[in-house]
Amino acid sequence: MSPAKTVLVVDDSRVSRLLARQFILARRCFWHVEEAASGEEAIARVQADGHGPGQRPALLPDLILVDVNMPGMGGVAAASRLRELCPQAHISLLTANVQVATRRRAAELGLGFLSKPMTEARIAALLDALP
Amino acid sequence: MTPHFMVRSLLALFEPGLQQAAHALGEIVGEAVTMSAPTLRCLPRQRASTALAAAGGQRLCGVRQHYQGGFRTEAIVMFAEDKCLDLVRLMVGDAVPMEELTAMEREAMGEVGNIVLNSCVGTLANLLGQDLRGSLPLVQIATGAQLLAPAAGAGSAQLVMLLQIDLVLEAHCIVGHIAFMLEMDALAQLQALAGRSAADGAAP
Repeated sequence: MSPAKTVLVVDDSRVSRLLARQFILARRCFWHVEEAASGEEAIARVQADGHGPGQRPALLPDLILVDVNMPGMGGVAAASRLRELCPQAHISLLTANVQVATRRRAAELGLGFLSKPMTEARIAALLDALP
Repeated sequence: MTPHFMVRSLLALFEPGLQQAAHALGEIVGEAVTMSAPTLRCLPRQRASTALAAAGGQRLCGVRQHYQGGFRTEAIVMFAEDKCLDLVRLMVGDAVPMEELTAMEREAMGEVGNIVLNSCVGTLANLLGQDLRGSLPLVQIATGAQLLAPAAGAGSAQLVMLLQIDLVLEAHCIVGHIAFMLEMDALAQLQALAGRSAADGAAP
């Protein structure tokens, strides 16, 4: 059995985060799923909080799913920053935007692309393709 | 009256996107979705807002997004308010407790609307070789007339193109209505883009 991995789901939609968690754990029940409701929150999670008592250590995700259309820092900007902070992670944009321009942008940034609606089949294909 | 040939060419342009929207809704709920025959009219915005009067003034949950790029359009998808919880239940399955489902209903409808509308508009944008930027989805609960009413300060007499289609989940008696509104200058831009795409061989 492959080792447990950590997934960070970044989406302002609570239902999207819930579905991602359900589908990931249905396929990889021993994995750990963390959530962030914004790009800013995701970046804060992967940066070291400090080392004092009660402070949370930095998250080291193996896989990051980032919704494109979010208020505040958009998903593409967040994914680019997360790429710098988490070079070990596979990062996929998660979007209902099926436009070629969006896919092209993802490819130029070295990001994966996962279409919404999220389905268990799409999540399974993504997980199976991870090294 | 909108010329018949213009209606036909615009409907042909939107059809792949509308099919994609129906397909996306079907994937969200895990069952087949059928489409009504779309209708397309050019009329004053105020009359467009009463186009759903046949729905009997029932309250609808509408998800609205504005798109801009090669042309501007306002898109809205609407479901009967009393069917939204059923729709969200189909989306998330039985594992979510009712209290949590109710708490997330409005936000979940925003996500449904975002996916359905982006599926349609994205497909249209790809056909035209365009990059359209969409706003964040805005969820509103109101009658159809109120949802389609012009914004404060906007010209109610301004002509708009109104395209309507119904997406039907027969097993659950859930009907979604999609409406696209383009002002006449945006419609002209869209037709110009379609003409260029056809000339380049990129249009269907």
